[in-house]
Amino acid sequence: MKTPSLDGINLEVDRGEFVFLVGPSGAGKSTLLKLLYREEVPTSGQLLIDGKDVAKLPPRAVPYLRRNLGVIFQDFKLLPDRTVFDNVAFALECTDVPRREIMRRVPAALELVGLRHKSRALAAELSGGEQQRVAVARAIVRNPVLVIADEPTGNLDPENTWAIMNLLNQINQMGATVVVATHAAEIVDSMKKRVVALERGRVVRDENRGTYGHES
Amino acid sequence: MSLRGWVSALRDALHNTRRGSLMSLASVLSVAVTLLVLAVVSLLAVNLEYWAATAESQVEIKGYLCTAKRDEVKCGGRDLTQAETEAILERIRQMPDVVQVTFLSRHEALEQMKQADPSQAAIFEGYEGDENPLSDEVYVKVRDVELVPAVAEQIQRLDGVAKVDYGKEIVADLLAFTRAVRIAGLGLVLLLLFATVLTLSNTIRLSVYARRREVSIMKLVGATDWYIRRPFVLEGMLLGAVGAGLAGGVTAWGYMRLAPVIQQSVPFLPVVQPSLVLADLVLGLLLLGAALGAVGSYFSLRRFLKV
Repeated sequence: MKTPSLDGINLEVDRGEFVFLVGPSGAGKSTLLKLLYREEVPTSGQLLIDGKDVAKLPPRAVPYLRRNLGVIFQDFKLLPDRTVFDNVAFALECTDVPRREIMRRVPAALELVGLRHKSRALAAELSGGEQQRVAVARAIVRNPVLVIADEPTGNLDPENTWAIMNLLNQINQMGATVVVATHAAEIVDSMKKRVVALERGRVVRDENRGTYGHES
Repeated sequence: MSLRGWVSALRDALHNTRRGSLMSLASVLSVAVTLLVLAVVSLLAVNLEYWAATAESQVEIKGYLCTAKRDEVKCGGRDLTQAETEAILERIRQMPDVVQVTFLSRHEALEQMKQADPSQAAIFEGYEGDENPLSDEVYVKVRDVELVPAVAEQIQRLDGVAKVDYGKEIVADLLAFTRAVRIAGLGLVLLLLFATVLTLSNTIRLSVYARRREVSIMKLVGATDWYIRRPFVLEGMLLGAVGAGLAGGVTAWGYMRLAPVIQQSVPFLPVVQPSLVLADLVLGLLLLGAALGAVGSYFSLRRFLKV
C-alpha cells in the first residue's frame, strides 16, 4: 500500500444536515463518499449510517444499503439512449418496485426537478444542466435518507450550477441528509452551510456556516 | 422474483443477442461444432458400450463333466450317474451370480455333429453309446463378465467337473478395452465441455462489456447481483441451447442416415438403433447447452460484479 487516501478521519453528520466537502483534487473527497455507498471499503475503522457499520456489511446486503441512498455524479451516469422517464424509472425497475408505484413516483420526482414536460425526450437530447436534473430525480425517486453528490456541478455552467445546488438544498429542506463534494467556491461561500475541508486525506477544517476557504 | 422481472430479463437477453448478433452467431456456431464432436463421441461410446455388452453377454463358461474316458485324476475313470450329474447342475444353478445353465449331454453333442455335416455322418459310426469319446458339457452364463473368472474357479472345484474353459484372454481383453474407451471418452468429453463453457463465457463477457454502463448504474441504485446477472445468464443459456440444438440436429440427421448403412455393410457389428438413442441425445444436448451457458455466464459475471 502507498500512503492511504484517507487517514484518521473522525466525522459525524446529523440526520437532515447539509454538508459541503471541499479541498483540492486528490484530497480524498471522492474516496470518503465512496466509503459511504460502499464502492470502497475502509482498511480499518468504523463507518456508521443509521447506526449500522457499512464497512462490515456483507456483500449481499450492499444493494439494500444503496436503495436508501441517492448518488449523483459529475458525469450524470444516465443511459443516453433511453427517455428521461425510463432513466428515472430504471432505479425502481431494477429493484423490483411494482409498476403502479413507478407510474406514481417517477412523475413526482421529475416534477420536483422541473423536467416533467421532458419525460419522453431521450437523455442524450438534453442539455448538461437538464441531464444532471434527471440524475437528481433518479437519486431521490426512492426518498433516500442520504443524498451523496460527487462534484455534481463540475461539468455545468454557473447558472446550472446554481440550479442544481438549489435543488439539493430543497431536497435537504424536505428532510434528506445531503453531502456534496464540490469545487464551486462561490456557492459554498454564499450558501452558508457546514463545510468540511480535506487535505491529503485528513480533515483540516470543519465549520458550521463555513466558507470555501483558501486550502485549494 | 416476479414474473414481470423474468419477462424483462428475457427481453434483455434477446436484446443482447441481437445487439451482438455477429458475436452471438460466432459463438453459437463454435458451440455447435464443439457439441457436435461431443455428440459424435457420445454416439460412438454408446455403440462401443453396446458392442462390448453384446460381446460380454456372449462370454460363457463351458464345463466338461467327468466320463470314464477322461484321464483327469479327480474323475477316477468312471462315468457319472444320472443323479450325480443332476446334483452338479443344481449346485451350479445355486451359485449367486449364475443366470443361466444349459446342459448338453455327450450323446446330444454327437447327434449335433452328425447333423452339422450329414455327408460325413458315417465317420461317427462306432462312436455311439459307451464308445462316445465326448464329455457331457455345461454352459454357464454369469450376471457380469467381470465375475466369470471367479465363477469358473468355483465350478472347477466341484466334484465330477473335469475341466472348465471360458476364453480367459478374450475376457481380459474385453474388460481392458471397455475400460480404456470409458476413460478416453470421459477425458475428451470433459475437454469439450470446458471449451464450450469458455466460448460462452467469453461471449457473455463481451455482452456485459457492451452494457457496462447499465450494469454500473444498476449496481449504484441497489439492484441485487442476481437481478443484474439474470439477463446475461439467460442469454448464455439461450446461446448454449441454440448451439446444442444445431449440433443435435446435425448429429441426429447423420446418424439416421449412417446407422442403416453400417448395419448393412458390417452385419456382425451391432449398431444401436437411432430411435433408441436420438431423442435422449438431442434432449440431453439441449439441457447440457443451456447448463453450460448458465455456468459460463455466471463465471464471466462473477469478476465483473465484485464490489
